[in-house]
Amino acid sequence: MTVAPADVVLRTKGLVKRFGEITAVDGLDLEVRRGEVVGLLGPNGAGKSTTIGIVLGLITPTAGSAEILGRDVRSRRGAALRGVGAMLEVTSFYPYLSGRDNLIAIAILRGGGALARVDPLLARLGLAQRARSSFRTYSLGMRQRLGVASTLLADPALVILDEPANGLDPAGQREIRELIRELAKEGRGVLLASHLLHEVEQVCDRVMVIKKGKLIGSGTIAEVTRRGGYLEIAIAETARAAGILRRLPGVKEIRETANGIDVIADSERGADLNRALASAGLYASAIVPRASSLEDVFLELTETEAAPAQAAG
Amino acid sequence: MPSVILALVVVIAFALYFLVWAGTNAQLQAVRSGQIPEPRGGTAQLEEALRMLGPDHVQEIGVGVVVGIGRVMLIVFAASHIGTEFGWGTLRTLLAHGAGRGTFLASKAASLGLFAAVLVAVGTLGAIGASYAVVGLGGGSSGAGVDLEAVASIAAKGIYTCLPYMALAVGIAVLARSAGAGIGAGLVVLFAEGIIADILVALNRDYAQIVNWGLARNVTALARATSNVESPSAGISLPDPAQAAITLGAYTAIFMAIAYWRLRTRDVTIG
Repeated sequence: MTVAPADVVLRTKGLVKRFGEITAVDGLDLEVRRGEVVGLLGPNGAGKSTTIGIVLGLITPTAGSAEILGRDVRSRRGAALRGVGAMLEVTSFYPYLSGRDNLIAIAILRGGGALARVDPLLARLGLAQRARSSFRTYSLGMRQRLGVASTLLADPALVILDEPANGLDPAGQREIRELIRELAKEGRGVLLASHLLHEVEQVCDRVMVIKKGKLIGSGTIAEVTRRGGYLEIAIAETARAAGILRRLPGVKEIRETANGIDVIADSERGADLNRALASAGLYASAIVPRASSLEDVFLELTETEAAPAQAAG
Repeated sequence: MPSVILALVVVIAFALYFLVWAGTNAQLQAVRSGQIPEPRGGTAQLEEALRMLGPDHVQEIGVGVVVGIGRVMLIVFAASHIGTEFGWGTLRTLLAHGAGRGTFLASKAASLGLFAAVLVAVGTLGAIGASYAVVGLGGGSSGAGVDLEAVASIAAKGIYTCLPYMALAVGIAVLARSAGAGIGAGLVVLFAEGIIADILVALNRDYAQIVNWGLARNVTALARATSNVESPSAGISLPDPAQAAITLGAYTAIFMAIAYWRLRTRDVTIG
């Protein structure tokens, strides 16, 4: 699908970052469009935070480029960052200032109409009651909420959230998920780095899985989970059916179950499997494609050695 | 922290004036009442010491005390002012919200310069107040009163001599990403350099050609040019005051340039 440049809020091309001998980011191409939530997934040390650091101009890439709204982050950092609101993994504010004063300080830095957004954002994130308490007295969840509030001060086209649900209770996590969806509905692009895969599964339109700085899988949630999907076949003679199907190309694994067999293969192979069974005189009462959870796919992708590949899409 | 430092410099100025006045006055009273023998040369030196506490001598004593103590406080403040941004992680937050690294350092430098001026001004006002207070307690005359022009001139030069030490503390704090390192380096240079320079010059006057390019002797040269108080290095070739001012300015610029270069080229990592 060709995407109009105006719709792309973030694009990285061949991003590389080396710290001495260690390659933290290795030729990463990312794209976030308006109105979509993109999940950036990867195990600890995969290069997610380094990638975000490069996008925000905090870290200088060894090679490659990052553009926000078509503006190169290295050569036009100030202009590029005007369109971004970012919450980093560790939320850091002045401990002696109140939550409200911290937002005011950032709003002054941001300029424009940011000051007028301080109080509405505190209310939107449920911090109005404690807005005048000093930041050092905030719980981890309140700090996270303040971090999220700070990202929206500049009315950004791109919102970057690094582990926004850290320390939040289930109700708080749900609120953040709803907020993220609202942001996308408002036409903003959202890049979400998170370890909470069920959260990613619920809010993201697309995911990009990285390991050792390399992109090892990407696509819509449906595409990625289909990659690790399987076909549930209800059939009587399970041993014979398994023997027939095991010989077919593209069948990775067969598991016998109480009602039949589960065949790990591309979900689009259902007709081929059915044909093979029927030609052997075996008739399935049902063939149902089942998707794996994102967690299953994530573990499958990240537990095998990193090799640059498009998982799907 | 700034308000604590300002309060502290005023308290210290008052305390020193009162300690010196109380000690000298007690000694003088004891001599006059015959409790202790009269020192050689009579009580003139003690009376002169009391006169030096008067408002007409604030530019020599009060401002000197404030600048001397203020220099230590300003080193601590400068290093903390920038070092805590690394420690708290707020530098990361500011940069992520679009602040420029040069703008960040420039705003820090401007606020530090302003604070140095406020500290010396408040401390000097404290010293003036303390001076009037001890003169009042002693029932003496305040003489010609405060020579505001002289006080302002010496205070301004005092502020100027603090700048290279503050810039050094900032530079080291940025290099090490630590307030402690900036404070340590600033204080070591402040105390050790002057002592080493004086020892070297005492051993061989030719060493003045070398140590006159350091901070301490240039600070002394600039202070002597505006003060009647003799420094320990008096009589030994100090730099010319104009050269001293240029050298101190150059050091300030070099230390700030190092801080800027390191801040600009450093990756600000997350987490």
